Amino acid sequence: MTAGDGTTAGREQGGSRSVPNWTLFTTLAREEWRLHTRLFGGWRFGLFPVVVAGFAVAASVALTETGTAAGTVARWGHVLALGFGLYSGTAAFAGSDMLENVFGRLSLVLSTAATLPLSRTRLLAIFLLKDGMFYAAVILLPMAMGAVPLARGADSPVVSGPLAVGSESALVAVPVAVLGYWLSLSLVFAFGMAVTVALVAARSRGVPIRLVLAGIGVVAAGAWVAGVGGHVGRFLVPTAALEALAVAVTTIAVSTAALRAYDPTYARPTRTASDRFARLHDVLPVGDEALVAKTLLDLSRSSGGVWKPFVSAGILLALVAALVGVVAAITGIEPSPGIFFGGVLGLSAFTTYNWLTEFDSLESYLVYPVSVEAVFRAKRTAFVLVAVPTVGAPYLAAVVWFEATLLDAVVGAALLGGYALYYYGLTVYLAGFSPNEFLFDAVRFATFTAGVAVALVPTLVAGFVVVPPSPTVAGVLAVAGLGFAGVGVVLSSRAGPRWERRHLEG
Amino acid sequence: MTVIRVDDVYKSYGTVQAVDGMDFAVERGELFGFLGPNGAGKTTTIRALTGQIRPDSGTISVLGTDPTDDPLETRSRVGILPEQGSPPSFLTPREYLEFVGIVRDLDPEFVAERTELWADRLGFRNKLETLHTDLSRGQQQKVMIAQAFVHEPEVVLIDEPLANLDPLVQEQVKRFLLEYAADDNAVFVSTHNIGVAESICSRVGIVVDGEIVAERPLEEGLEDGSLLDVFLEHVDEAGARDLPVADRVQS
Repeated sequence: MTAGDGTTAGREQGGSRSVPNWTLFTTLAREEWRLHTRLFGGWRFGLFPVVVAGFAVAASVALTETGTAAGTVARWGHVLALGFGLYSGTAAFAGSDMLENVFGRLSLVLSTAATLPLSRTRLLAIFLLKDGMFYAAVILLPMAMGAVPLARGADSPVVSGPLAVGSESALVAVPVAVLGYWLSLSLVFAFGMAVTVALVAARSRGVPIRLVLAGIGVVAAGAWVAGVGGHVGRFLVPTAALEALAVAVTTIAVSTAALRAYDPTYARPTRTASDRFARLHDVLPVGDEALVAKTLLDLSRSSGGVWKPFVSAGILLALVAALVGVVAAITGIEPSPGIFFGGVLGLSAFTTYNWLTEFDSLESYLVYPVSVEAVFRAKRTAFVLVAVPTVGAPYLAAVVWFEATLLDAVVGAALLGGYALYYYGLTVYLAGFSPNEFLFDAVRFATFTAGVAVALVPTLVAGFVVVPPSPTVAGVLAVAGLGFAGVGVVLSSRAGPRWERRHLEG
Repeated sequence: MTVIRVDDVYKSYGTVQAVDGMDFAVERGELFGFLGPNGAGKTTTIRALTGQIRPDSGTISVLGTDPTDDPLETRSRVGILPEQGSPPSFLTPREYLEFVGIVRDLDPEFVAERTELWADRLGFRNKLETLHTDLSRGQQQKVMIAQAFVHEPEVVLIDEPLANLDPLVQEQVKRFLLEYAADDNAVFVSTHNIGVAESICSRVGIVVDGEIVAERPLEEGLEDGSLLDVFLEHVDEAGARDLPVADRVQS
C-alpha cells in the first residue's frame, strides 16, 4: 500500500487521534441524556432536578428556622455531595461486577473501545468527565439552590466566603451564593469520583481493594488521633478560594494518575465454588428457600461479598454519629441516641435492597413455575436475614458509644426494626426490582422522600425535644414503629401483585 | 394430538402491534419452526405461550392449560429456553440445576443424575463448579439448554436454540431435538435462522408483522422452491426489509 491509497487514508481518519474529544464528549452526553429520559419517562426525569431543588430549599429553610447555623447546613451539603461522588463510583467500583454490568449494558458508546480504534482509557476519561458534568447539572445545581435561604444572612459563610463577592445586596448575593455553593459542591463531588476511579485503577493493577480501603481507614484514624481532622474537614468544604484550589488540584492529580495507572486489559481470573446452594437451602428455616438461597449466594459471591450492605450501613452510621455531635455542639442538647440512630439507620433498607436486586431481574424468574409474588416474598426474607446483622451491629455500637438509656435503646430498636421494614416496603412498592434506577424518576423520588419524611421528621424532632424519652413518648414511638412496620409489610406484600400486573401487560 | 393451540391472539405495546391475529397449532411429535425476521413478534408469542405476558385478546392452550389464567401450571408442564436467558449470575451450573430442580419440585437425586448426563452430553462437565458470570456465552447457553430439559417436559419452547454454540455442539443439539420430538413430545423452535429451521423442523410457520403468513411441512421437501425462497417471498410481500440476506439475494 502506498501513502496515497484509500486504505491508509482511511486508517488515519479512523484512528483514535482523528476523533475530536469534543465529538466523543457530545456523543456520550447525548447517550446519557437519552438513557435517562427513556429509562425514567421523559418529563418525569425532567422534573427530577426541580424536586431536588425543592427539597434542598425546604431542608435549608427548616434547618435554619430551627436554629441550625448556615455554615453547618452548608457543611452537610458538602458531606452529601462527597458521599454522592463516592457512591457514583463506589456502587460500581466497590462492586466491580456491577461496574461491568453497567458499563457493558448501558453505555453503548463506551463499549465501542472494543470494536473501534479508540483508546479505552481516553474514552473512559471523557466518560467520567461527562458523568461529572451531567450530575453537576442535574443534581448538584438543584442542590445548590439550598443556598438561597442561607444567603439571606450577611454573615452567611456561603456569601461572605472568598468564593463570593461579599455584597450584602440580596439581589447580587443570592445568585453569587448559589454559584459559589454549586462550584464548591461540584469540586467535592468530583473529588469523590476521583477517589473511586483511583480505587478501580488500583484494582486493575492487582492491588486488593480491601487493602487500599484499610489503608485509607488507618490514615483517617491517624489524622483524627493526631488532631488534624479539622484540616481535612476544611479541605472537604472548600468555600474559600485556597481550599477550592487545593481540592481542584488534588482531584485533577488523582484522576490523572488513576487514568494513567488504569489497565484496560485487566481481566478477573475465573472463579469456581463448591456446592453451597443445597446446604444453604437445607438450613434456611423459611419459605421460598430456593429463591432466598439464590439471592444470598448472589450477594455473597459478587465482588465485595456480604460486606457491601455493611459498608453502606456503616457510612450511614458515621453520618448520623457526626450529626449527633453537630447537633449537640449547636444546641447544647444531646439528642436521644437510641431514637436518633434507630430512626435514621433504618434508611439503610434502601441500599440493602438495592444490593439484593443487583444481580438478577424479575424476567429471569419467569421461565420457571414461580410467581412474581413468590420472588418478592423471597426478596423480603433475604432482606430480613441480611438487614438484621447489617443494621443491628452498628445500632448496638451506637447506643453503647453514646450511652443511651435502656428505655431509649429499646425504643430505638423498635423504631429501627419498624422503620427499616417500612422503608423497605416503600422502596419495593414504588421501585419494584430496580430501586436504583427508578428513584431518578421525579414522581417516584418525591413520593419516596415524602414517605420517608412522614416517619422520620417527627421521630427526629421527638428525639430532640424529649431527652431522655419519657415513658409516654417512648410508648408512642414504639407504637409508631410497630405501625410503620405493618405498613411496610402491607406495601411489600402488595408489591408482588402490583409488579406482576405491570409485567403481564408488557 | 394438539399440544399447543393459538387462536386469534393480539398483543400490542403502546402503538406497536407486536402480535396481530396469530393462529397456529402444534401437534405431538412435531418439531415446529416459528420462522420470522427480527421484530416479527416471535419472542412476544413465546412470552404469551408461557404466561409471561397477557395477550390483549385471543385464546392460548398449552398441554390443555391456559397460560393466561394459570401461568404457573403451564410453566411447570413445559420447558423454556429464553432468547437471552442465562443462569443466575453467581451460581455454578451444578447449583443452578439444583435450583431449577427445587423450583420444579424434582427429586434431588434425579436432578444430580440429569446434571451429570447433560454435562456429558453438551460438554460442560469441567465447568460444573465455575461461576456463571465467568462462563462463556456458549457455555451459558449449554446450561440453559440443560435446564429446559431437566424435568423431561412433553413440550419445550425454545427461542434461538443454537445461539452461541460451536458447530460440534450445534449438531449434537439438533440431533437431540429431533429425537426428543420423535419420542412423542413437541418442540417449538423460534428462530430467524433459515438453515436451522430447514435442518431440524418437521413443519414451519413463517411469521411476519405479528401473524403467520404461511405454513409448510418440511419432511418431504417443498414444492414451491427452497425454504429461503418461500421465506423471502412472504417477507418481501409483507414489506419487511430487516434482512441483509434479502438485499444480497436481490442484488
